[in-house]
Amino acid sequence: MDFSLLLDPSILLELLAQGLVRGSMYALMAVGLSLIFGILNVVNFAHGELFMIGAYVMYFVVASLGFPILAGIAAAAVVLFVVGMLIERVLIDPLRRRSGRGWLLDAFVLTIGLTVVFQNLATELVGSRRQGLVEMIPGSLDIMGISLSYDRLVILAATLVVGAGVWLFVRYTPLGKAIRATGQDAEAARALGISVRQIYMITFGIGASLAGISGALLITIFPAYPTVGMLPAMKSFAVVVLGGLGNLPGAIVGGFLLGIIEAFAVFFLAAGWQHVLTAALVVLVLVIRPQGLFAVQGARP
Amino acid sequence: MRAAKLAVLLGALVLAPLFVSDHFILSILIAALMFGVFGAIYDLMVGYCGLTNFGYAGFIAAGSYASALGASFMGVNPWVGLLVGGILCMALGFFTGLIALRVKGLYLGLLTWFVGETIRLTIANSTEITRGMLGLTVMPFPDLLGIDFSRANLHAYYYALLVIGTAIVLACWWLVNSNAGRAFKAIRDDELAAESLGLSATKYKLINFSIASFFTGIVGAFYAHYIGILSPSPTEFGVSRTIEVLTVTYLGGRGTLFGPIFSGFLIVGFQEALRGIGAWRLILFGALLISVMLFFPRGLATLKKWLW
Repeated sequence: MDFSLLLDPSILLELLAQGLVRGSMYALMAVGLSLIFGILNVVNFAHGELFMIGAYVMYFVVASLGFPILAGIAAAAVVLFVVGMLIERVLIDPLRRRSGRGWLLDAFVLTIGLTVVFQNLATELVGSRRQGLVEMIPGSLDIMGISLSYDRLVILAATLVVGAGVWLFVRYTPLGKAIRATGQDAEAARALGISVRQIYMITFGIGASLAGISGALLITIFPAYPTVGMLPAMKSFAVVVLGGLGNLPGAIVGGFLLGIIEAFAVFFLAAGWQHVLTAALVVLVLVIRPQGLFAVQGARP
Repeated sequence: MRAAKLAVLLGALVLAPLFVSDHFILSILIAALMFGVFGAIYDLMVGYCGLTNFGYAGFIAAGSYASALGASFMGVNPWVGLLVGGILCMALGFFTGLIALRVKGLYLGLLTWFVGETIRLTIANSTEITRGMLGLTVMPFPDLLGIDFSRANLHAYYYALLVIGTAIVLACWWLVNSNAGRAFKAIRDDELAAESLGLSATKYKLINFSIASFFTGIVGAFYAHYIGILSPSPTEFGVSRTIEVLTVTYLGGRGTLFGPIFSGFLIVGFQEALRGIGAWRLILFGALLISVMLFFPRGLATLKKWLW
């Protein structure tokens, strides 16, 4: 480990750029997970498998059917929206209404079962071969001695667009406001005439849809195969913990933070140790600041 | 009545392998018994004290690797290694508990998950010592009391595991029926109320977590010398393994201790019987966990009054 390399501005810049690109990926993956947790309090372990389905939809629409990239992303968004709503209504909602003590943990375990089902259903239906796209937009941008492929830049831009879009949506649209109201106090929202059950279903759908979009967008890096979601899921959970469970802007910032940390770790440590660092970092944050790094004073733990 | 049922259960476990000489069937019986014991230990945590350990496989890995590395680098006798694995795992559980048990429920689940992953990934990346994903070859148990413990003699392994497992499960049974066990249950049912009665929730959770880790380490060490090769893959020591143990416990019924022994045999048995249908058996496995959560939150214990 030679930290004096950090004094070299070109290396520092290169690592920061790599970190931003990597971080945009993580932030994109984590937004849906964060939204679902923030509103429903449900931790969706099957998040990675929704990502996986998104990647498959992208592959079939773009590579098999020959539609343009944007159509693939839109298809992934729509398919996962429906899948997410179904999961909520058929599986999560009955648990909530039974509402025993600790039902949230039961819901978590249930989504673990869902993970196993989705992974093996994919193996059974499409096989375990990796199916990806080589690149969405060929070429790369060279700037200040750093080379960034257009694909990575698209991901970076998409993260900012999706992040801003979700934020504006929950902030300013009537549906978004209803979603936030439900997340803050379901009883009060119900008293105001909001159909809380429907909001839960739609929110889960949107969260799943975001997972699908990220799976579709990242297909050049994570080709579609049945267990492709495991790493993205773990990184998403790490990001969501760093940013604070359910804290949407926190998830975006947390994603970039994790990306930059890992970019530096990859450079200074032997390959593979960045995953150890991430896991240990998550443990540390959960112990010291379970409300997340960016929680405002008085936010819930 | 209780004792009679236990005798029947133990009798069945003792007699079962006598009718089997097939190597493959014996290895399935060993796997089933091992999952049953892991499930019972897991139940001690989740079913009796509400401690959700989603990094369980990482703790198994710690026990396995402790004994395996002790045997190959320091010449520790694998029989002593059982204790080495247990004690190292207990230390790990104790320190994890010390930092982790302040948070509850889902947070504890997430925290232990990442503790488990930290353990597994550290093992995977310390390639000079553990050989990482290439896999670490582990010696079998040496002969004990004149019994041949070469891996060809699976009967010996089965009965050794039965002795260890019985001791562990009986120790758990004694523990949950002791004063400490009553404290566990009080904390599980209502932590605030338990604390207001003067019970230190943190202390009892720490005791529970450390003891469960100790037992986990012992069985993990046994697993290492039985299986002969270890690799820190997600299926062997990662999330997938935790999910298997968790499913055994949830299907067996949380807070029953003996339920997981039955479900261990049921799940492993069905998984082997259904090998012909490929990935569908794992789809069924996942669907089983989902339906337990949705329809039978008490697991097999729902059936208990009719069958057992």
